[in-house]
Parts: sequence; structure tokens; C-alpha cells
Amino acid sequence: MIKSLEKASDFLFRNATYVIFACVLLYYGLQAPSFLSVESLSNIVKQASFIGIAAIGMTFVLLTAGIDLSVGAVMFLAPLIAGYAMRDLGVPVPVGLLVAVLTGVLLGAINAILIVRLKVVPFITTLATLFLFRGFGTWLTSSQQFDFPEEIRRFGLSTVLGVPTPLIVFAIVALAAHVVLAHTAFGRQVYAFGNSPEGARKAGLSAEWIQARVFIICSACAALSGFMLIAQIGRLDVAFGEGSEFDVIAAAVLGGASLFGGIGSAFGAVVGATLIQTVKLGLVFTGVNLYLQPIMLGLIIFVAVLVDGVREKRLLALLKRTIRPV
Amino acid sequence: MNLLKTTSAAAIVAAAAAFTGTGANAANICFAFQDLETEFWVAGHMAITTTLTEAGHTVLERNANEDANKQFEQIKDCIAQGVDAIIVIPQDGESAVTIVKEAQAADVPIAVFNRPPTDTSKGIVVVADNKTIAETAVDSIVEEALASAPADKTLNAIIIVGDLGDPNAVGRKDGFYAAINKHQDRFNVVEVASKWDAATALANLEAAVTANPEVDLLFTSSDFLFPTIRSVFEPRGLWKKRGEDGHVLMAGLDGDKTACQLIKEGYVDATGVQDLYFEADAALKGVLEAIENDEAQPNVLIEDPGFALTQANLATDEMKMWGCILLAGE
Repeated sequence: MIKSLEKASDFLFRNATYVIFACVLLYYGLQAPSFLSVESLSNIVKQASFIGIAAIGMTFVLLTAGIDLSVGAVMFLAPLIAGYAMRDLGVPVPVGLLVAVLTGVLLGAINAILIVRLKVVPFITTLATLFLFRGFGTWLTSSQQFDFPEEIRRFGLSTVLGVPTPLIVFAIVALAAHVVLAHTAFGRQVYAFGNSPEGARKAGLSAEWIQARVFIICSACAALSGFMLIAQIGRLDVAFGEGSEFDVIAAAVLGGASLFGGIGSAFGAVVGATLIQTVKLGLVFTGVNLYLQPIMLGLIIFVAVLVDGVREKRLLALLKRTIRPV
Repeated sequence: MNLLKTTSAAAIVAAAAAFTGTGANAANICFAFQDLETEFWVAGHMAITTTLTEAGHTVLERNANEDANKQFEQIKDCIAQGVDAIIVIPQDGESAVTIVKEAQAADVPIAVFNRPPTDTSKGIVVVADNKTIAETAVDSIVEEALASAPADKTLNAIIIVGDLGDPNAVGRKDGFYAAINKHQDRFNVVEVASKWDAATALANLEAAVTANPEVDLLFTSSDFLFPTIRSVFEPRGLWKKRGEDGHVLMAGLDGDKTACQLIKEGYVDATGVQDLYFEADAALKGVLEAIENDEAQPNVLIEDPGFALTQANLATDEMKMWGCILLAGE
């Protein structure tokens, strides 16, 4: 009996994020049954896809014990550059999307050079580039709203076999990131570096090259995320993406990524982003007072992170018990 | 600059020049703004800077990029540089109080443009009567909604609320409820937070419309969110012109170019208009008069009564709205 209870609690702690997710869904479902409708759930995942794509990129960085605070600014600047290309050069939407991603790669490379070559810590580097990238975009627009060509909205609102395009892009990015992290040498190197940078170096891995690539991937994902979000609205204002870095980091961490590196997964980021969006939209759905919404959101995220922290301790204790059985 | 923009700016220049013509010398004016994220702020910024520079004054522009602390430091820097007066568009109502206090302690006249401090008794405060403007705009669509619905039907209304730290957003929310509460038993209201952010508004409005698919009327606390509303409404067949089946009665507030275009096309029914040129003119006159009279701590509250541009008065009042003036000039 005690053993089965222990097993059950172990299972709950191992899957704490999913358990919290289920509890949140259940609670909102009881409050407003239509919250669990296909349309509502599809909307949640669609809205989660924008932050989710960026959170997947952020997971790469967090796995190396780094952080990228410039993702919100990249989400603003990269689609803006693509917008200029589409509006002034007449390039079609797919090329515009490519321009956005390549701009993200370039901005990520700037971060990477500062971190890897100049040895400035990621927090400071990306804090600086946050202002640099946003400032550059603000200068380009002269603080004015930027209207994208109408085609971008047609792309953003399009569906493939009834599935919204942002969802498909989200799924492709998540799958690709999972394959890279779980089934390639580079993925193993990222985990190795995150677990022990010194150990990775001694094993002959190029720490600089690993770090550079994760920051480039992170910015490319942020650029793609920004482009997909702008494709919904068709207009970019100077506040676009501001503060998104916190949502992105929160989504990755809620999905199980450790700020100290070495732990995390692409699917975890998907779950984290979806959990945050579920909580946010559930508050709207159930008509919670606007003044209470940020408090409720903060509380739920806090509980999720707290449970995650307890889970970590519990898992460590379990590991200890395995090494030295009583 | 196109003809109409020139005409509008010239009108303010003429008014200011008429005043400054009484003998005011060229002054150094610090113009600190929180950012220019919407058409309203861009047009307000242009009206103020153009008027001041064309009247021969020197303008020190300071953009705080939506950072209240940064704006406070910028104001202190302006004071240290010995400016003659300050015009500020503050980040929020609380920081505005601190900024006004700092300027007045240094004997520098200060005008607060459009976003009021929580204490409006200090400084030259030029503010739109957001509550009344919103109420007038919402009144027009409420009456229309009630007129076209069966007497026993409860109507669904959505309000997109701005940042609740901004007194303008709170005033607009209050104005919406002032109109709705006249027929309280007829409306079911859904509140949607936007935090003045299009992406937040997009996600929350999608959820609200999924939860309440039948929408009878919508009020957005700022016109800049109409493209976002369109993104949510269009796939659901709710983005229709007046007279078309499924048209949702919609009103906004600001009076920008987009709203003007959408009212003309029939997608939007009304918008509350802030008289931007009146407000810019009042702020300029206030500080220039204070400099002229060596008045270091002028305290005056100037309210822009505004008005609502509706389908009913579109033909006569269109060119009173700053967004329509800008649109006509394109």
C-alpha cells in the first residue's frame, strides 16, 4: 500500500507540469465547459505557438546555462526588416518569412560574437542588444506604426486541411528542435556543455561553437515567432514584442528547462508555452476581473514553478536512494 | 508635409505666434514623451515640435521608450540644462506627479499633455475628458443596438480595456460603463485586457469571442486596435460593413486615420475624438504664457471636451477629426 502510494506520488512529481496543466484545464472546464471545446483548445495552442516558437529557441540557450533577453527585440526588428522587403521590394510572403529568419540569424550572430569572441556574459550582452535592436527598429520606423502588405494577413490567417498555419509552423519547429536535441551529435553536445562546460571542453568539444549556434538558433526562432504573430495582425507598432522575453523564458522554464543548464527539452517548451497561454486565456474565458488577472496569473505560475522545484528535490532524493539503497 | 497637415500646423503656429508675437523671446523647451506608439502620439508630437520650431523656439526632445524612471532622469537632465519650460507626455499618472513636482521645485513651468497626473491640481494639465468622450461614442452604438434588437433580448457587449495603470484607459472604461449602465439589464459585458499591446489584445479577444461567439457591440479603448479586432472578427464572419448581415456595432476612441477610414467604409460605427490640435495648442500656449509672465509654477487644468464622430454626423464633422485630416492629406 505504502509502496503504491510512493509510486503514485513519484509519478505525480515526475510529471508535475502535466499534472498542473491537467488541473488548470479541469478547473477552467468546470467554470466554463466551452473552454474545453475544440475551437477553444485550438485557439489556445494557436496563441501559444507564437511564444512557443521563441521558447523552443530559448530552451537551446537555457540548456547551455545562458540566457537571451533580446528575443522580444528580435521579434520586433526581424519582421520589420521583412516588412520593408515585402513593401518596398515587393517580395512575396515566403521570401519575407525567409528574410525575417535570416535577419534573426544575423542578430543572433551579433549576440554570439559578443558572447563568444568578446567573452561578455550572455545576460549583459543580450540586455545591451535588447536596447540596440529595439532602438534600431524604432529609428527605422520613426516610432510610427508599420503596415504590412495585405498578403501577410492572408498567410497568417490561412489554414492547411483546417489546421491554422501558425500551428503547423509551431509543430514543425518543435519536431525539428526535438530531433536536433535528442537525435544529433550537436544536441548531445548542447546537453554536455550545459551539464559541465569544463567537462565538455576537456572532451574536445568546441564550447564557443556550441554557444554561438544556440544563440543563433534562439534569435532565428524569435524572428520566426515575431513574423508569425505579425502575420495575424498586419500592423507592427513600436511596442511590439516588448516584455515578450519574460513570457518566453517563463514558458521554457515552466516546460522544465533549468536556468542552470543541462535540463530541458523542445516539447517541454511547447508544454510550458501552452500552459501559460491556457492560464491567461482561461482567465478571460471565465471572466475574472481585469485587476485580478495578473495576480491570478502570477500565483498560478508561482505554484507551477514551486511544484517543479519540489519535484527537482524529490527526484534528486530518489536518485540518492538508488545509489545508496537503504 | 501635405497641404492639410501644413494647414493644421499653420493654424497652431498662427495661434501661438499671435501669442508669442506679444514679445516672447525664443525659448528652450524640453519636450519629453514616453514613446510614439500610436498615430495619436505621432501626430501630437509633430504638432508640438513643428509649432515650436517654426515659432523660433529650441526644442530638446527626449524619448523615454516607455520607461518612467528614464523619463524622470530625462526631466532632471532638462532642468539641469536650464530649459525655460517643459512639455511632458508621461508614462503613467503616478510618475507624472513626481515629474511635475520635480519641475516645479526647480521653478520650471511644466505642461502635461494628454495623459493626466493622478493629482491634476499641479502644473498645466491638458487632458481629454476621456469618460465623456467614451460615453458619447458608446451611447451612439448602444442606442442603435437597442433599436434593432427585440425588447427582451440581452445583448453581448465587449470592451477592450487599455493599460489599467493609465488614467486615460480607466476614464474610457468608466465612460463605456456609464453608457452601458443606462440599460444595465440589457447587456452582458465581457472585458478584454489589452495592456495597450496588439498581441495581448489579439490573444484575449480570440478567447473572449470563442467564449461568447455572439457579439452585438464592441468598444475598443483605442482606435489603434482596430486591425487586431479585424484579425479576430474576419475569420468568424463578424467583420462586416453596416447593412451587411452579421455587422457588429463598433466604436473606438482617439480619432485616428484608421478609424476614419473604417467609419467611411462602414466597418466602424463611431469613435470618440480627442481634439489633438486643441490640446497641443493649449499646452503650448500654457507654457509660453508662463515664460512670458515669469510664472514658475502655473497650475491649470484644461479639459478637451472632444466629441464623437458617428455615422450620423460623418458628413458634417469629418474634418473636425485629426485622423480624417491626416487621411484626406494622403
